[in-house]
Amino acid sequence: MITLSASSVFAYLLFPGGLFAVLFGLLLLSMGRIAVARFQGRVGPPIYQNIFDIIKLRVKEVLIPEDVTNKLMFCIAPVFGFVGMMTAIFILPVSGVYGGTGASSDLIVLIYLLALPAVSHILGGSASGSTYAAISVSREVILMFAYEISFIIVLFTVALAAGGGDGAQFSLKGIVDYQITHGSFISDIKMIPAFLAFVIFMLATLEVPPFHIAENDGDVMKGYLMEYSGMPLALFEITHALKLLVLITVLQVFFMPGIAGASIIVNLLWFIGKSAAVVACIAFIHASMPSFRVDQAFKFLMIVPILLSLMSLGMILFF
Amino acid sequence: MFSKYATKSPWLYRINTGSCNGCDVELATTALIPRFDVERLGCKYTGSPKHADIVLVTGPVTVRSENYLIRMLNEIPDPRVIVAIGICPISGGIYRDSYSIRGPLDKHVEVDVNVSGCPVRPQSILDGVAQAIGIWKDKIKQFHEA
Ligand code: SF4
Repeated sequence: MITLSASSVFAYLLFPGGLFAVLFGLLLLSMGRIAVARFQGRVGPPIYQNIFDIIKLRVKEVLIPEDVTNKLMFCIAPVFGFVGMMTAIFILPVSGVYGGTGASSDLIVLIYLLALPAVSHILGGSASGSTYAAISVSREVILMFAYEISFIIVLFTVALAAGGGDGAQFSLKGIVDYQITHGSFISDIKMIPAFLAFVIFMLATLEVPPFHIAENDGDVMKGYLMEYSGMPLALFEITHALKLLVLITVLQVFFMPGIAGASIIVNLLWFIGKSAAVVACIAFIHASMPSFRVDQAFKFLMIVPILLSLMSLGMILFF
Repeated sequence: MFSKYATKSPWLYRINTGSCNGCDVELATTALIPRFDVERLGCKYTGSPKHADIVLVTGPVTVRSENYLIRMLNEIPDPRVIVAIGICPISGGIYRDSYSIRGPLDKHVEVDVNVSGCPVRPQSILDGVAQAIGIWKDKIKQFHEA
């Protein structure tokens, strides 16, 4: 049960949610940009680049096009994703640093929260009345149908595995505690296919190549962000940074929540190090892959990650 | 106070008004090829005119592209900086006095930086962008005082 106390407000607004999460997420985004640049043999932007991007967007004029189909929806759409991600980072435990809310079934809540950024893209894009946004929204919806299925199967696989034979464990904290006593799932051969499926899900939600389809500069320009400028655009950027951080934290909660020592500082540094390593891997994939067409991506997402996650589920259930 | 940090993040938007593609190739390589990395200045190419801070215009403004150019320029939020890339938008270049040209660019909009060359050298594009950032800083200040 979550009660309103000083410590939970602190966790929501400052650490590990809120301010810390926004800054850390933005830093992770710039780290990704630097890593992509290095893989291409360039120097890349400075490490604080994405924070400056947000400051820049603050000084720009905000344009609202005359032909938006729904002005109210156009203005409030960015808020859904932002609030969803703020809440997600609040309920996620960081092993050895922060225990999460400790609610008994927050894993289920996570399914809904992780869908919110896509929902805000869809609402904002379709309200903006731009043709590019319409195309990109239809692509995003198609992809969302495909990747959410594999995510839900992975989620139940992890819950069953963390139940340790008797039922499923739907508490995020329970999953972390189980892995700290029994060893991380990443070292369990039965969970490797689920891990791969989750990585594919991550790439698809973050829209990095090979799933850079809904906002591909080459054919739909900026997609659903086409008509946004100034502060609403900054809110979308912050949401993107938080989404990256949330997905990396979920990856660590599900598969590698190992702790490095007893002290909070050491564990926090360990968490930051693991996150940076994951970002570097994502950047490597980003720099070396071309993009799918939307139909190819749909076929791929319907077959590969779903089969991988079902394989893990089967092994957990029957062996 | 913010203008100091804001200038570290200029987003570039490219408008092609009927160029021969020589300058566009140079623009693409400026950002992408290892030797000339415009992302070091914090720049990034953006797909939407509404996200643009520095607008790079190539080509001599042909009859067919004139209307689109004007519409596009109206969609770019202030404060913004217009950079003319190549001799085409500056004077018409090799297309000067042609029946199908509605240039030069400064008939339509106030140009802040001219980068000449046919095609322009990557180094001069970088120099032009760096100068544009300086002008943009003053414009942000004026925009917030107004
Ligand atoms: S300036 Fe020269 S290279 Fe550039 S677009 Fe014009 S004709 Fe082509």
